[in-house]
Amino acid sequence: MIKIHDLSFQVKDRFLLKDINLEINKGELIAIVGPNGAGKSTFLSCVANEIQYKTKHFSFKDKDVKSYKRSEIPLHRAKFSQHQSNEINLKNEEIVLMGRYPYFKTEADLSDLEIVEKWMAKTETSHLTDREYEQLSGGEKQRLHLARVFAQLENNIENKLLLLDEPLNNLDVAHQFKTLHLIKEFTNQNNSALVVLHDLNIASQFADRLILMNKSSIEMFDEPKKVLTQERISRVYQYPCIITPHPENQQPIILFG
Amino acid sequence: MKKKVAVYKVSFFIVLLVALVTALYLGAYDFNHSVFEIVSTYFNTNTHTADSFVLIELRIPRILMAILTGAALAISGTCLQGLFKNPLASPDLIGITSGAVLFAALTIVFGSAVMHLLPAFFRYVLLSVMAFIGALLTMWFVYKMATSNGKTHILILLLSGVAITALTGAVTGFLTYISTEEELRNITFWSLGSLAGSNWWKVCLVFIVVLIGSIRLLSKGKILNALMLGEKEAAHLGFDIEKTKREIIIIVSLMVGCVVAFNGTIGFVGLVVPYILRFVFNSNYNILLPLSMLLGAVVMLIADTISRTIVVPAELPIGILTAIMGAPVFISILINYKRKLK
Repeated sequence: MIKIHDLSFQVKDRFLLKDINLEINKGELIAIVGPNGAGKSTFLSCVANEIQYKTKHFSFKDKDVKSYKRSEIPLHRAKFSQHQSNEINLKNEEIVLMGRYPYFKTEADLSDLEIVEKWMAKTETSHLTDREYEQLSGGEKQRLHLARVFAQLENNIENKLLLLDEPLNNLDVAHQFKTLHLIKEFTNQNNSALVVLHDLNIASQFADRLILMNKSSIEMFDEPKKVLTQERISRVYQYPCIITPHPENQQPIILFG
Repeated sequence: MKKKVAVYKVSFFIVLLVALVTALYLGAYDFNHSVFEIVSTYFNTNTHTADSFVLIELRIPRILMAILTGAALAISGTCLQGLFKNPLASPDLIGITSGAVLFAALTIVFGSAVMHLLPAFFRYVLLSVMAFIGALLTMWFVYKMATSNGKTHILILLLSGVAITALTGAVTGFLTYISTEEELRNITFWSLGSLAGSNWWKVCLVFIVVLIGSIRLLSKGKILNALMLGEKEAAHLGFDIEKTKREIIIIVSLMVGCVVAFNGTIGFVGLVVPYILRFVFNSNYNILLPLSMLLGAVVMLIADTISRTIVVPAELPIGILTAIMGAPVFISILINYKRKLK
């Protein structure tokens, strides 16, 4: 799905990312975790081609990522950003419809509108249609943009990639889990997702593999059970913790303090 | 929603037609025959009467010019507002109009020797090309001034416009000093704005520019909407942001430059028209772009008809009328802004 060999990113002479090597398979849900300033968002921006990085090799679905046409890539890859614009003077369903912009020229098809409706229902934002965007709460805005991003990848292409930068911010517990189930549903269809998460316990329960980042590089990239050890987490986060198995699924649970 | 847009389109169109027919009959000169009769005798018998002269050489080109000018200024304003993500961006407020006037005035005063040698059509082409260059340079200047890291600072944008307008005022003031009487008449007409000089050559030229320009701009609805999400997000939807910016800047400069070259500064149309439409359609540029062209044409045609009939036999400069409409809108946008700052 994705192969990256020796990727780095620097601003002036300071490396914000260095020695990044990884391979992501189709159908994987991968969480990116790590302390503040470790380079999680920067790494996601590189995968999204938002910034000018250096790399020896970066292929997306066995093709050089730069060889994709500008109009073609939105059908394969979508990104949910951490900061959403606060001023969008549009109806909420028109905002979700933007996810369908790569699919129509000027007039949206009936199928596009159906997809918008479907994802607004799935993200529980259908009831927001008659409210103004600027009056919505942070979490509601966030779910609306999630609907937009999911709507963007609704097509017959196989092995799509979804990039999410802290999608759970501002969401209440129920919506956090509902959102994760939507992402899981997406990866179960042979698609992949790269998700920056803050909550290690959520990452541990939902991710197939974890990328633990520390000081601008990847500390470890493996299954949660292997990555989440007491020694490693205490060292990387510079805070003591204990780790215990989840009573039901046996995944590691981290308790700090 | 689709239905509502269609209803608005049709009703603007009907209003435009009614205004057009009314405008044909209104004016300092009253026809002895109906418009239809005048046109048919003109083309069938080739007899030129006072009626046919006023109608075909003066009134019709002027009406067409009003429609084209209104449409061009309104869609330009709408596009700039989308590009700068601010309802205050309009060709006159950010100084593009002034830049065009400056270059047109320079051309008239310093190019008069060359101008006299050229046939009428090429004279107009030269004038509009110069105004286009003036518009483009100012546009580039204010854009560079006001934008850093993909964000536009509206305060700097507007103040750059003020600076450019001041500079233009000074230079045109100087030019009026050194110009001959004929040149002077030409220059003063710009600062006030008037469609009185319209003729078929000018209409043809503006028509071509507006046709090409608006076809390109009308396709920008989706990307202007997407820009509200932010530039990175818009890029993820497959849009080429930098290319679109360049395209909009060039086309808007071309349309504004061309319109200004022939009609002088007509302010506020690019501000007022999208402002009105936003009440109904928010900022959905897919809808705003075509509707702003129609409403711009209506507003301009009505304003011009009033300007040439209200103080018959003299004429009120059209800039006065558009400013009367525009200033309150400007102030109310500012009040809205102030509320948001709190």
